[in-house]
Amino acid sequence: MLSPSTIATMIITVMVMIMAGNAMSGAVDEAEEESSAITICNQDDTEFTKQVLKFLETPAGGEKNDVKYVTLDSDDYTKELKDKDIKNVVIIPAGFSEKISNSEQATIKYVARMTSLSTMSNVSTGSTNAMNLINAAVKSAFYSSKVQSGALADKEVAMLESPVKVEETTVVADNSQSISPSLIIAATQMSNMFLPIMVFVLVLYSSQMILNAVATEKIDKTLETLLSAPVSRLSVLTAKMLAAGIVAGINAIVYMFGMNRMTSSVSNLTSSSVDNLDEVLKNLGLTLSVGDYVLVGVQMFLTILITLSISLVLGALAKDMKSTQSYILPVMVMAMIPYMLSMFVDITTLTPALKYAVYAIPFTHTFMATQNVMFGNTTLYWAGLAYQLVLLILCMGFAVRVFTSDKIFTMTLSFGKKKHKSAEE
Amino acid sequence: MEKVLEVKGLSKQYKKGVYASQGVTFHVNKGEIFALIGPNGAGKTTTIRMIATLLKATEGDAVVAGHSILTEPDKVRENITYLPDEAGAYKNMKGIDYLKFMAGIYAKDAKSAAEYVERAKEICGLGDRLNDKIGGYSRGMARKLLIARAIMPQPALAIFDEPTSGLDIINALDVRRMIKDLAAKTGMSFLLSSHNMLEIEYVSDRVGIIAKGHVLEVGEPKELIEKYEARNLEEVFERVVKQQ
Repeated sequence: MLSPSTIATMIITVMVMIMAGNAMSGAVDEAEEESSAITICNQDDTEFTKQVLKFLETPAGGEKNDVKYVTLDSDDYTKELKDKDIKNVVIIPAGFSEKISNSEQATIKYVARMTSLSTMSNVSTGSTNAMNLINAAVKSAFYSSKVQSGALADKEVAMLESPVKVEETTVVADNSQSISPSLIIAATQMSNMFLPIMVFVLVLYSSQMILNAVATEKIDKTLETLLSAPVSRLSVLTAKMLAAGIVAGINAIVYMFGMNRMTSSVSNLTSSSVDNLDEVLKNLGLTLSVGDYVLVGVQMFLTILITLSISLVLGALAKDMKSTQSYILPVMVMAMIPYMLSMFVDITTLTPALKYAVYAIPFTHTFMATQNVMFGNTTLYWAGLAYQLVLLILCMGFAVRVFTSDKIFTMTLSFGKKKHKSAEE
Repeated sequence: MEKVLEVKGLSKQYKKGVYASQGVTFHVNKGEIFALIGPNGAGKTTTIRMIATLLKATEGDAVVAGHSILTEPDKVRENITYLPDEAGAYKNMKGIDYLKFMAGIYAKDAKSAAEYVERAKEICGLGDRLNDKIGGYSRGMARKLLIARAIMPQPALAIFDEPTSGLDIINALDVRRMIKDLAAKTGMSFLLSSHNMLEIEYVSDRVGIIAKGHVLEVGEPKELIEKYEARNLEEVFERVVKQQ
């Protein structure tokens, strides 16, 4: 039972988990660091706001906060945040101090730029932290001024219950909407998980199918019968890939339907809490148009074809059905790495070495397809597509070469044993 | 006599200096049952696979019904059928569907395909069991189905690798009789391979003794037995190999 191939499977799976874990832990650290930093745009240049910001930097009896300051030249947040590479900013508008001094609740603006829907990349896109800190700072600044001037009026005490309210704006690519980023994340979480799961299942399913088909034919020698018949090897190869592709496609549709039913019931719960959520998501570009579906579909199709070509070659290595099961491992690893990473981290933010290593896996680009389309990462999308095309040509070429040569009958893979080729193959 | 197969200096080299078969030369006449005999690893299957156009020869050539395996492999495949050693069939298919599927590949039109299937049904003698899935067949039944599949298009040359391997005595006898009867009735030529020399002595018209990739002797079983003053082909094989 515990064959070398089984052990290799276990070791490699654990290694993949560790690697993904390390990448995610890096992303978590980065996110935590980002979430503790507050970027402020102070448009209310008064002594009071200066005092508030001082308390924000050094809260009374607390640890220092990492506060950065920026200047926004216009109200076009999409452009401003993109140009200045700012992920989120708290804007203290002009008149802020005046409102507080009139014992009225003042408004601050919180603008968050989302670059990904992955869980970890959005850890910092919460306004609650910024609002709590500013509320505390306002209270401290207010108390400080009142200590000098005397007692608090009733109106002022009431105001101090909650001196600041926040107006949230979410920016996605070139679009912005007045909505909390956390609501966006909640609304898109299921659909964000949906594509990676579907791609992962599709890759494994189509791989298993063609691998088993070729391996079974080779082991049962029905392949020899078929290839000695008056039919071209290329047509046999095409028929096999087409059949596996169609069945994988049907499986994808069935799977999509099931997942869609599941996600729509969850989305309905989120939509019920926000008016026009669908419209907001549409305006932010977080829903897929027909064109977007085509773009994502093209990458999925390429992924299936790459999977089929790789698996066909792997199936040709089969010696027996038991060993064949472990041959799916390379495909599984190639699917598992981007699958896990894309769900939790924004792959574009990984360290360059890790990022390009992950980009080298052809399936990565399909896992990122929805994000690239939604967030307007057109260069990344087309570069990924071009890479997948080149790789497909190479994989197909190799598969055709294997299938049309002696290799389809003579290739085998041995774990831990030196291969001996007898004359009587 | 008209030659259906002429093999001239056929060799297969896997690695530099390592030959699976080397300089193999023999021929098969029309209507003849020719058998390549030798132990496991002698080069029988490699030779047969080259003739069946599954493996590419590194040296030499073989001509099947006037077509070279090197230059006209497609034409060769139109004139042969091949039954690999311990071959299986598609287990999820019904026997009859398998025959129809294979007939569709070999036949030029639907009418011929139907004729092939009828012929195969008669040859295999599986009756109603043809409506069952192949996965439920015994080894003997599956072998008969595969032989029927190989015979139904009546090719110029039917190539059978170890046709009775893995079969019990009764089924093996059935298969031998089937091959002999078909050769007599249809005038088809057969190229068989086997390590069971007594079987070959019974079924074949001529034999080629192959060992370590070389054909050492070719002739009729009786003729060879007399030449080597042996009691049977096994003894002939032993003496031929010792002489080398």
